[in-house]
Amino acid sequence: MYLSQYQYYDNAGQTPRDKNWGSYQYVSLYDIVNNFLLNYTGNHSLVNNEERFKVLFHAKRGIQELNYDAFKEIKALELEVDDQLRFILPSDFVNWVRISVNRNGLLHPLTENAQAVTSKAYLQDSDYDILFDEDGNALSPEFSELDIKRILGQAPTIYLNSGNQYNGHLGYNCDGNWYFGYRMGARFGLQTGTANANPTFAIDKKRGVINFSSIMAGEIVVVEYISDGMEGGDDSLVSVNKLFEEYIYAYINYCILDSKLGVQEYIVNRARKRKTALLRNAKIRISNIHPSRLLMAMRGQDKWIK
Amino acid sequence: MINSVRNTVLSILNKNNYGYISPSDFNLFAKQAQLDIFTSFMSDYNEQINKENSRISGTEYADLRKAIEADIDDFSVTNPLQLDSSNKYFLPSLTTTGDEAFFINKVLSYTELLANGTTDGTVVAENQCVDSTADFIEDGVAVGDIVALIADSIVEYVTVLAVTETSITTTGVLWTVTDIPYAVYRPTKKEMERVTHSKITMLENAPLIMPKTDWPAYTQEGIRLTAYPSEISTVGRVVAQYLRFPREPKWTFVSLTSGEPMFDQSQLDYQDFELSLDFENMLVSKILQYAGMSIREITAVQFGQADEQMEKQAKQ
Repeated sequence: MYLSQYQYYDNAGQTPRDKNWGSYQYVSLYDIVNNFLLNYTGNHSLVNNEERFKVLFHAKRGIQELNYDAFKEIKALELEVDDQLRFILPSDFVNWVRISVNRNGLLHPLTENAQAVTSKAYLQDSDYDILFDEDGNALSPEFSELDIKRILGQAPTIYLNSGNQYNGHLGYNCDGNWYFGYRMGARFGLQTGTANANPTFAIDKKRGVINFSSIMAGEIVVVEYISDGMEGGDDSLVSVNKLFEEYIYAYINYCILDSKLGVQEYIVNRARKRKTALLRNAKIRISNIHPSRLLMAMRGQDKWIK
Repeated sequence: MINSVRNTVLSILNKNNYGYISPSDFNLFAKQAQLDIFTSFMSDYNEQINKENSRISGTEYADLRKAIEADIDDFSVTNPLQLDSSNKYFLPSLTTTGDEAFFINKVLSYTELLANGTTDGTVVAENQCVDSTADFIEDGVAVGDIVALIADSIVEYVTVLAVTETSITTTGVLWTVTDIPYAVYRPTKKEMERVTHSKITMLENAPLIMPKTDWPAYTQEGIRLTAYPSEISTVGRVVAQYLRFPREPKWTFVSLTSGEPMFDQSQLDYQDFELSLDFENMLVSKILQYAGMSIREITAVQFGQADEQMEKQAKQ
């Protein structure tokens, strides 16, 4: 249903007033399922006699897939890192985009630590045999040695922070490689990919936390991440950008035809090609590539590089 | 139409002194004939759809699908279903909705329940119900919302005209007594999807597509349907659109002393055929077949069959 200006700007006097702001960009899940059932199914359509829950399933799956890469809808959550150097992943987290520490109002992007920073451990006796409880489960300490060292800031690291052997030493950069003085011995440089003084992090997906290096306790961290667009199960909030509306119909159509018995292969292929082409178009559209933007970027050519 | 059909049937039967059928026999044959035609609507409709998909059906006045749809829709009714217990509702029946359902086409449910309870007061002159335990303002009841209530064991709907904390003024004159069970809904309805018993358990455990008030579902068992999610359990929340069986035709008469019954449609149990005039020929043919069998006159049966066949071909 189209909104009046009053409904759009003021939510018709109801709270929250900003409920409908920007809503015109989106088409709701209800509209998608309803429109699909009305216009793409029936006695004279390729799809007929399909349950609504199947259409709903494919619609939601399509929206999930779009949220993973095509939509540019990045969520952000700011939390303080606890004293175990953990940041619990957002409740609708699927994958991360960027993790930054907020210092003095500036966001400093952090580097993902390629080293293992967390580990599970089992208790062992003096003969290195694993200890078990009466149920036969291996006994675990609260933290592994690796975790304790990380939390206490004693873990050596390849990154340029307090745990690194080069930390605090002057060096010089030549041809992209860092070199340090003789006090450090003969060094052939460090990896520039790890030459970052900011703290590092590693994501423990199974435990649902981001583990940080030692100096992060109490720091404010902003996690930018993508979700699957399911809005915590509240279907009234699930929506699709209108640029992808036709793609979603094509996606549902294809998924149903692809899994339906007796549909000719050329029809399935036609549906697949249509779906793919529409996705391509929608991605180009949402990229907002237009002359004025290109012009602004191209103006950089006149800048003098010192 | 019923008298005209009877006269035609008797005229054909009497032509060669084949015999005579009594009014009670005629009524039995008429019921059977009407039912035969009525139940063939669905298969005729399906056949027509197949023709359309094979591109051998025309449009505009040649669009027979529209005609069949109109014939079917003559028997379409929409009624609220009576609540049995928890999330179970009685399917349409003579006792709950006043008619038997031949085919349940769709079931709807109100998506948002605002308030429900039992009235403990009424202002009859103002069409107002009172529930001193309720807070309708807090519940968000507003003008235009729908109130379902039980009046004379039947679910009725009225619309909210005014609201106070403990009373609602509505359309209709139904709040004549107290202790009336009621429920207030937003006017929005969603179609409930019929799900088989083999699927419903899995569906309930599928987070992505589990039944919700916005995507409600139901299963059917005996004379009841079970609504999902189970919070669909209040008075008047479920409405069904279905095709009812046609009413039994009844040719009524007054007996004259000379013996010949004379048609009298003023009798209380009079019931005409409910099929359109279009089906008069087919009714005659079908009744002739039954009557022919009854009086053991094979010629009448054959005539009826041939006539029916011609009628069917003409319709195609």
